[in-house]
Amino acid sequence: MIAEQLAANIIYGLLLGGVYGLATMGLSLIFGVLRVVNVGHGAFIMVGAFTAFWMFTLYSIPPLASIVVAVIVGLAMGFVVFMTIIRRLLDAPELSTLLATFGIGVFIEELSKFFWGPDYVGYSWDIGGISLPFTELPFTKLYAFGSSIVIAALLYVWFSRTKLGKAIRAVVEDKEGAMVCGINVNMVYALSFAIGIALTVTSGVLVTLFTPVGINVYMGGDYTLKAFVIAVLGGLGSPWGAFYAGFIFGLLENGSYTLLGLIPGVEPFGLTRFVSFTALLLILLLKPTGLLGGE
Amino acid sequence: MLKVSKLESGYGEMQVLWGVDLEVKEKSITTVLGPNGAGKSTTLKAIFGIISPWNGMVEYFGEDVTKTPPHKKVEMGITMVPEGRHLFPNMTVEDNLLMGAYLSRAEEKFEDSLELVYTLFPRLKEREEQKAGTLSGGEQQMLAIGRALMTSPNLILMDEPSQGLAPKLVKEVFETIYKLKEEGLTILLVEQNVFSSLDISDYAYVLHEGKIAFGGSVDEIKESEDIKKAYLGV
Ligand SMILES: Nc1ncnc2c1ncn2[C@@H]1O[C@H](COP(=O)(O)OP(=O)(O)OP(=O)(O)O)[C@@H](O)[C@H]1O
Ligand SMILES: [Mg+2]
Repeated sequence: MIAEQLAANIIYGLLLGGVYGLATMGLSLIFGVLRVVNVGHGAFIMVGAFTAFWMFTLYSIPPLASIVVAVIVGLAMGFVVFMTIIRRLLDAPELSTLLATFGIGVFIEELSKFFWGPDYVGYSWDIGGISLPFTELPFTKLYAFGSSIVIAALLYVWFSRTKLGKAIRAVVEDKEGAMVCGINVNMVYALSFAIGIALTVTSGVLVTLFTPVGINVYMGGDYTLKAFVIAVLGGLGSPWGAFYAGFIFGLLENGSYTLLGLIPGVEPFGLTRFVSFTALLLILLLKPTGLLGGE
Repeated sequence: MLKVSKLESGYGEMQVLWGVDLEVKEKSITTVLGPNGAGKSTTLKAIFGIISPWNGMVEYFGEDVTKTPPHKKVEMGITMVPEGRHLFPNMTVEDNLLMGAYLSRAEEKFEDSLELVYTLFPRLKEREEQKAGTLSGGEQQMLAIGRALMTSPNLILMDEPSQGLAPKLVKEVFETIYKLKEEGLTILLVEQNVFSSLDISDYAYVLHEGKIAFGGSVDEIKESEDIKKAYLGV
């Protein structure tokens, strides 16, 4: 019974972890290329969640198809935010960028509340699932996981094979070196920021496949927090490290949920977060560059 | 080919260049000498556009390129071998060279450029698959020059290419620079290695506290004991 529950939660942890990974890649990419910490990260996840909700509710478009919409919305938002705000902050002190991205997050949340209201909304996309001996696995979660893997893989190929992808890597490795090669560094910044936001908005679509009724304009804060933990675990600035670290975080969260539930008198939900963040502290104590980071 | 007039620039509030005037003739080697902190690197960075010129003018073949961003300058045939090399340490030697041929102008001449680089530096060919960060200092310098050549430039700005190299390698680097001139390239060189650089140069300038203190042919500098004593410490 307990073993079954644990097995089920480990599988859910892995599936959710894949989405966590994707939800953090954008944050790490933006930090890696621009050295900008996007404190407003979660607001873009919320935009993705509402994209999935409205597409489904208004036009009956399934969430997987909404991914395309999310990518377009994300690229556009990222580009506009970069051109209007981030571009001016590249040489500014860190505190300015932190405050600015925090402000962007609040602005997006409040604007969304103005249009969409403060209530929790949700949708139900029931497409069945697979019966395992110990649990019922809904296809929606499997699809969310699969989409994360496919998107991360596509991004990897794009980075390692295309000229623009390589130009981004070059800027990360050495900005001045990139300049003498003729790479337009500002263009690379704009592109990376837009891709980072597009990834984040897309992950917001996938998040709703796990919590389809938890869509709310303030839902992002929780994800911002988790994304920071995952980004640090993965060695800040590395999108691939972040992707792997997402799995670790998902497993940790879901595994500890089951185990904590066994202790009488303990409310596992509240303590889960405590365990996840304690693990983070421990890892950072032992390996300050992050679990998967370099030396 | 390149004409710099009354160039002023600096970092933040701090002005470093106080009106630099210099000229580079096509297919020549022009050297800028000067003590540490004179503003040699700053001059090259302001010409190339890594930092913005505050005042004055940079002309390239008569065209005003003072505010032209670096990537457009590379498109026009200007590139730089920066101080400290600025390679891509986690990329292979081959990928570093490939990045040099990033623009379409360079891509068209990719094969020829690569052959030139591997002829000049056979060691780079041997180490094609090795990560740039693991190369020796001398090899890294060769790669930095090689990467600049891959952009298919007319004018290369070189910042202390002999820095930190063993005497034998220093000699090799200067010989290479001379070969590049024979290939038809133009070079604006910044150096602390007075004698070696004067040996290969056609023209020389002495930069002192952000201003040109002397400019002329190499022979003039070599003959003037005053200049050598006052500014070059030799
Ligand atoms: N990035 C920077 N930020 C602030 N000040 C700088 C920066 N780079 C150089 N400086 C200052 O500008 C002045 C000129 O520096 P520059 O690097 O141009 O000298 P240099 O002639 O190249 O010296 P060296 O021979 O040591 O390379 C120095 O006082 C230096 O401290
Ligand atoms: Mg210097």
